[in-house]
Amino acid sequence: MSGPARSPAANGLEQEVHPVTSRDDHPLTMTALIGANLWAKKARSMGIAFAVALAVMTVVTLTVVSSGLETAASAVLTVGKADFTVAQNGVSDLLYSNIDTGQLARIGATPGVRSSVGVLLETERIDAADPLFIEIGIQPDDLTTFGVTVVAGSAYGATASNEVMLGWRAAQNLGLHVGDLFHANGTENRIVGIYSTGISYGDSAAMFPLPALQAYNRVPGSVSLVFVKIDPGQSSARVQRTLTRDQPELTTISTLAQAGRADRNLVFLKAAVTGSTILALVIGAIVVGNTMLLSLFERTREFGLLRAIGWSRVRVVWLVVSESLLLALLGSALGVALSFLVTSVLEALPQLHGVLHSDFTPGAFWRGFAVGIGMAVLGSLYPSVRAASLTPLKALSNE
Amino acid sequence: MSEFFVGEPKIETHGVTKVYADGRVQALAGVDLTVAAGEFVAVTGPSGCGKSTLLGLLAALDAPTSGSIRVGTYVLEQLHDADGFRRQEVGLVFQFHNLLPRLSALHNVEIAMLGSTRPHAERAGVALGLLDDVGLADLAHRRPPQLSGGERQRVAVARALANEPSVLFADEPTGSLDSRSTEVVLALFQRLRTDRGVSIVMVTHDELVAAVADRTVHMLDGRITPAGGT
Repeated sequence: MSGPARSPAANGLEQEVHPVTSRDDHPLTMTALIGANLWAKKARSMGIAFAVALAVMTVVTLTVVSSGLETAASAVLTVGKADFTVAQNGVSDLLYSNIDTGQLARIGATPGVRSSVGVLLETERIDAADPLFIEIGIQPDDLTTFGVTVVAGSAYGATASNEVMLGWRAAQNLGLHVGDLFHANGTENRIVGIYSTGISYGDSAAMFPLPALQAYNRVPGSVSLVFVKIDPGQSSARVQRTLTRDQPELTTISTLAQAGRADRNLVFLKAAVTGSTILALVIGAIVVGNTMLLSLFERTREFGLLRAIGWSRVRVVWLVVSESLLLALLGSALGVALSFLVTSVLEALPQLHGVLHSDFTPGAFWRGFAVGIGMAVLGSLYPSVRAASLTPLKALSNE
Repeated sequence: MSEFFVGEPKIETHGVTKVYADGRVQALAGVDLTVAAGEFVAVTGPSGCGKSTLLGLLAALDAPTSGSIRVGTYVLEQLHDADGFRRQEVGLVFQFHNLLPRLSALHNVEIAMLGSTRPHAERAGVALGLLDDVGLADLAHRRPPQLSGGERQRVAVARALANEPSVLFADEPTGSLDSRSTEVVLALFQRLRTDRGVSIVMVTHDELVAAVADRTVHMLDGRITPAGGT
């Protein structure tokens, strides 16, 4: 160690500045102090982080599951590559939408509508891996308008029975080819063609002649959705307004958000997710706040000392809030990791396999982190302000 | 008598009172005290006479009910930033050292400099220098539970000096120490006065400890007794 240098001091004398040894070369910073404070109470810190993690896990899992369901519900709308889709108004699930022949004809006659393709959508359990296999009933004349390209074999006939076309993904997943038999709707159906729509959801389905699928499902003359393309130069919004004014029992969907609003199940699910998020935030904030308050009572003398040696109120508040924030960040990261684990487990459950599709969007992560941070800020605000508002003398005399 | 207390008074109080508990307890009943720059003053008196209350008011840890206090150029009743005043002007030593047990001795000294304009790298050097001054450079990395009572109090003194204060307020600094450690801490105070020109006000109930100071003032029932002087 070399000799000490000297720095001018406020009182006019010099203060020795010793060269630091290798063991001293990590000066005390706020971050180091926060880390030391949390490390000193490991069990409590882990408890808070775990509480945050559970809340974040719940929020992220619910969000990704709800988002997955919304994506699945809206994916069907993208298959038709339409300007907008028409569904029955107020239906609980878009798949349960029911539009009759008369309504379909009036949609086609609406000014500005160039083409309208009515399709029947049904789901069927094919096997354990495909409990909600999508079946689309559509007239062969509408296939081109619907954006379907036959890539192998040929299209089925308009009135053919026991004929089916498989999307290329479905054929690949099921290991079936043109000429093979596909068991669905209680009968053996000959695969006459393999098609592509360019949309993953559509390519993982099967297409049947519309009357055949209507007959299988005992809904003659009904379709689920109508895919509408408008004349060039027409305003999609105006055509939609005209259509829903003339047929108020119908609703139009042109965006993902509208799909979410049209499907009441999704509306309820999203409301439940929002409610759970708020609940997790409140419960988490109470847990964090309660623990931080306990910690505050134990550390009253420490806060008094910090104020006595010149720490400002703001700095003390910042110390306490930062400790919570660090735990919240750790807890949030753990919560996101746990949500991956939980959704994987849920998706693997026989009862939910193929039904639950988690959709890990950036929004889900941000929501999770926002809940974690919100819990920390809300939970530590009162304890930190209380810590800072103590007079140093009173805090120091606390036993 | 030290050469330091012939100049401007460093600390002046006039008619300082402090009333607690909605007027039912009068801790100070009009204290007039003057401490010269570089002077070492001991305040003695029985328990409950207001010694510690007076010290708390001088350090701006609390506000007087009435009266005026000046420390250096600071008029405390007009003080807007009491934290800044304590950080820049005041060093505090308590009977119970109040060190943070999870931090090393070095970091316990450095913590007083957090938030100062001093560069990070320099803080550790200054803290180590101060620990060297109090004879504890070799124990810089020990935590308080690994130090004796006297060593802890010396770390507390080093912490009090971290921001180069011009006044040091010590509340029963030897109250929990054995005689050997008491001697070490008092010798340290005397060195601070002579080497650094720091004004020291030390509260003690021990007349032998008070005898080390340049001057002793005696308090009784919230007042400085006539024999105690100002």
